[in-house]
Amino acid sequence: MGKVIVVTSGKGGVGKTTSTANLGTALALLDKTVAVVDADVGLRNLDIVMGLESRIVYTSMDVIEKQCELSKALVRDRRVDGLMLLAASQKNNKDDIQPEQMKAICDKLRTTHDFVLIDSPAGIERGFSNASAGADEAIVVTTPDVSAIRDADRIIGLLQNARIEPINLVINRFSPQLVGNGSMMDQADVLDILNIDLIGVVPEDSAVITSTNRGIPLVYEDGSPGAQAYMRIARRLTGQRIPIHSFEQKGLLNNIVNWFTRKR
Amino acid sequence: MNISIRQLFGRKPKSSSIAKQRLKLVITQDRFDVDDRVMTRLHHELAEVLAKYFEFSANSVKMDLKQEGNSYILVADFPYTKFHETNMRQ
Repeated sequence: MGKVIVVTSGKGGVGKTTSTANLGTALALLDKTVAVVDADVGLRNLDIVMGLESRIVYTSMDVIEKQCELSKALVRDRRVDGLMLLAASQKNNKDDIQPEQMKAICDKLRTTHDFVLIDSPAGIERGFSNASAGADEAIVVTTPDVSAIRDADRIIGLLQNARIEPINLVINRFSPQLVGNGSMMDQADVLDILNIDLIGVVPEDSAVITSTNRGIPLVYEDGSPGAQAYMRIARRLTGQRIPIHSFEQKGLLNNIVNWFTRKR
Repeated sequence: MNISIRQLFGRKPKSSSIAKQRLKLVITQDRFDVDDRVMTRLHHELAEVLAKYFEFSANSVKMDLKQEGNSYILVADFPYTKFHETNMRQ
């Protein structure tokens, strides 16, 4: 039986879809069978971020309305073995799906896949309840800024009420340089506020933008700091114990640079 | 690096510490701010349980959330007129 993990955040634009695409691909690269599910009905994007937009024929809505079998609605990613995408309907809205229907899809997918990753829409309303309905665990994505962290705290409260655990935190768009000169909260600050387990820190990486432009998840081309960060998180999801990478800039030169560039 | 001499030697707190401090305050508030409807329900449920043991008039009951530093305290006053001793022996 596979694990169902909802990837969520509360606030939009912090990297839920990018994280779902990269973690799903990374897990498949680690020889796991993975289904990634876009739960953002009406505003779907997981397909385009993964570069599979031209191959979508059926969506989760068609499965729910019994227009086609679940297995037929899954799009196979041909670049890696064992990775499938279930797209969201673009012409419906979140209220057209019931939490129980999403749960039924998750429960079916977990019988055939090691991991089922659900890309949740932003917000705390119906879309979020649908996305988390079938989840065992959660990954909360945040960026180190006040609005994203406040919204993450709200989402964490809702996940705890729904008895979803563990809830693991991904800090995205982390900038070692800004942390160094005091303009950005560091991991310890964020964890002190949110008080959940950290599963990874993804540094700000321009390769994320170019990979999204191309529709090729970052982790296919190893080497960029972002790709390495996502690979480490995927390994942790499979149970490997890997210490959290420190992006802190150390050394005399950095201290001097930081002193001169420190901001208020 | 677009900074002035004054900024270089200024001793204002870092903006990251200000962010953390502000977040802690607002999140404590978010976490403990209880919906009025929920407070009313809790009021009724507490009164129902306490009525098994005490006699009190419903309009003398006071419930409040008080903030003390970073935490909130639920304070409930149920002034009672009589204790139902018989319930102790059940």
